[in-house]
Amino acid sequence: MEKKMALIVDDSSLARMMVRKFFADGFKDWDLLEAKDGEDALAKAQGQSLHLALIDFNMPGMNGIDLAEKLLEKQPGLAIHLVTANIQERMQLRAEAIGIGFIKKPINQEKITAAMQGVAG
Amino acid sequence: MHGERKKMFRLSELEEDALKEFFNMGLGMAADSLSQMVQNEVLLTLPKLKVVPYEEATHMLMESQEEKLVAVRQNFKGELTGTALLIFPGNESLELVRTLLHEDIPLEVLTELEQETLLDVGNVILNAFLESFTQMMSVEFEFESAEFLKGSSRFLLDISSHLAAQKQSLMEGVNEDDERAFVLMMDFKTSDEEDTQHTLSGFVVLLFSQQAMYILKRELEVILSNL
Repeated sequence: MEKKMALIVDDSSLARMMVRKFFADGFKDWDLLEAKDGEDALAKAQGQSLHLALIDFNMPGMNGIDLAEKLLEKQPGLAIHLVTANIQERMQLRAEAIGIGFIKKPINQEKITAAMQGVAG
Repeated sequence: MHGERKKMFRLSELEEDALKEFFNMGLGMAADSLSQMVQNEVLLTLPKLKVVPYEEATHMLMESQEEKLVAVRQNFKGELTGTALLIFPGNESLELVRTLLHEDIPLEVLTELEQETLLDVGNVILNAFLESFTQMMSVEFEFESAEFLKGSSRFLLDISSHLAAQKQSLMEGVNEDDERAFVLMMDFKTSDEEDTQHTLSGFVVLLFSQQAMYILKRELEVILSNL
């Protein structure tokens, strides 16, 4: 089976390690692209066909919402979820407004599984 | 053991990153509570973390701060011992009270309500914040009652005064070689998109005793070794 590709963007190494572990434990048919901020993510996503993007909000430089908008311009319909400790209602509404999902940190296996429901293919 | 304690306390880059992320999650929960209270979005900055001598910590905290500040201080003790401070510029605390009460209240009445209201806010925010640590680590600690402080930045940000308060309340005090502080800082402000009159800002500072710093490091090592 062809592997799917997920983009993980978070300035925290811990957060990326946690996601990596969940994928390694439960979703072996996925490859991960990891980036530490928006610029890094855009560079690494260049030319890739992504199936899922999990993006932190509060990062140096570009925030997660701005990054999500740029990724959607490049790949309309991509399943994107904002993964953030900023759990305020306004933040959830902002994610909703641009048509992306919202996951409250800390992330776990169930939350990743739920995020995969919207993945095409 | 004593000699070992004297060694410079250091966190690895990854441990520092992990602690910042826990701090980030803690303030995220706290900001959600505050956001519900003020019915406005609370904007958060990226967390800053430093392990520095107390004097430097005091100096760092005083940088770019206004002359007058108000603070809610919450000491905690147990496996983790330390002090959490929620600090507002002095001229903004009354604005916060006005925002929380959602009413146009005369200044003299506001001043009367200031202490009580800010203690309530501090209690909610700092508890939400500290409890996030217990969710992610196997450490237990208890909160003491929160205190309201008002004064000059020099007084409020003097780390040694907070340590003295801990010492008094904890009886056993802190060790003589507790020469370094863990300072975690994160700024926040309410969104000013809708009403510029009701913008307020502040920051949260966490200070840990030397012993607590070693416990935190141990917990971080356990968490990271499982990833």
